[in-house]
Amino acid sequence: MRPSRAKKMRLRNTSSNWGTIAKAFHWLIALLIITNLGLGYWAEGLAVSPTKVEAFYWHKSIGLTVLWLALLRLLWRFTNPSPRLPSDMSGWERALAHTSHVLLYVLMIAMPLSGWVIHSAANFPLDLYGVFPVPDIIPASADESAVGDLAKAAHYWMFITICGLLALHVLGALKHHIVNRDTVLRRMLPFSRASDPIRGE
Amino acid sequence: MRADLARALILLLAATPLAHAGNWSVIHEESLLGFTATQTGSEFSGRFEDFDADMTFHADDLDASAFDVTVDVTSVDTGSADRDSTLADKPWFWFEEFPRARFETKRIEHKEGDSYEAVADLTIKSNTHEVTLPFTWTRQGDSARIEGKATAVMQGGLSMDRTRWEVGTGEWSSGDTVGRQVDVEVDLLLKHEG
Repeated sequence: MRPSRAKKMRLRNTSSNWGTIAKAFHWLIALLIITNLGLGYWAEGLAVSPTKVEAFYWHKSIGLTVLWLALLRLLWRFTNPSPRLPSDMSGWERALAHTSHVLLYVLMIAMPLSGWVIHSAANFPLDLYGVFPVPDIIPASADESAVGDLAKAAHYWMFITICGLLALHVLGALKHHIVNRDTVLRRMLPFSRASDPIRGE
Repeated sequence: MRADLARALILLLAATPLAHAGNWSVIHEESLLGFTATQTGSEFSGRFEDFDADMTFHADDLDASAFDVTVDVTSVDTGSADRDSTLADKPWFWFEEFPRARFETKRIEHKEGDSYEAVADLTIKSNTHEVTLPFTWTRQGDSARIEGKATAVMQGGLSMDRTRWEVGTGEWSSGDTVGRQVDVEVDLLLKHEG
């Protein structure tokens, strides 16, 4: 029986379950986003100090990591089937789930991009992971302070939005698990398997 | 009466070199007094837009040569409004108390060819330490004359530990976030006034 258990660890998604790669993307990005939301909020409130400069160095490094991970994740998502939603979900529930997931992907990319614009306008140097120099992404002709202020406002409102979306995401997953008693939450857990029996069925 | 006149003439003659502020004048638009430093391990550079340079240089008479440069540190420009405003504060240049820095040579020595070394007192935030500035002084050809006058290019640089001058004190002094080493770069175009 042992060899067959190993086969159940799938890299790709199926119509009923997430594969290992999709789960890895989900949890790694989740960890990075939550860390960065806390780090950014905390650092913004600090007075100018080495701690603040260091905190933003890590905030930027993590944010740019989320950016390229999110792009890879989208690529993976478009080349994989996504597990179906439970058949008992109503139309508005499906619409809400779809919209909130689209928005989360949009913010995963737009938040780091707006941060990159703020960074470029501030004209601070940054080598990602201490190795890759990060170029400026605003045109040389731009009024840096105006562009920077706009990007800061966008970054702030996206922060508020993503906090709301994350709350909705977690509440939605818990509702599926506790109220609907379906597999939506369980199938994203790191070590769950497609063939695991579903509680209550 | 005649003695007074003679004394006045002597005083005038003696004062003339000072009034001329050296036999070379800096063409500011073509000159740079800059520096490179590091922040979270990455380099950034800046410059001082305003400085007065009293430059006396005779390649054949170095004992009579001297540089006296007063830098308006409030004119610092590192290309970042955030950083520049921080540099104005007490832990850094403390503009309110110390708007000027000064570089004053004590002697200039010839090395080889166009290469020289200036030993100077550098004063920042009332801290004075001796530094050595290696530099080249290159007379330009006739085609590089400005307003009919000969020109020269002076280029040099030195590395300094900013904390010796109390630039970046307190929690900034460890150098972990903003490196302690600052590389100063001098690149001046000068016009002969002598």
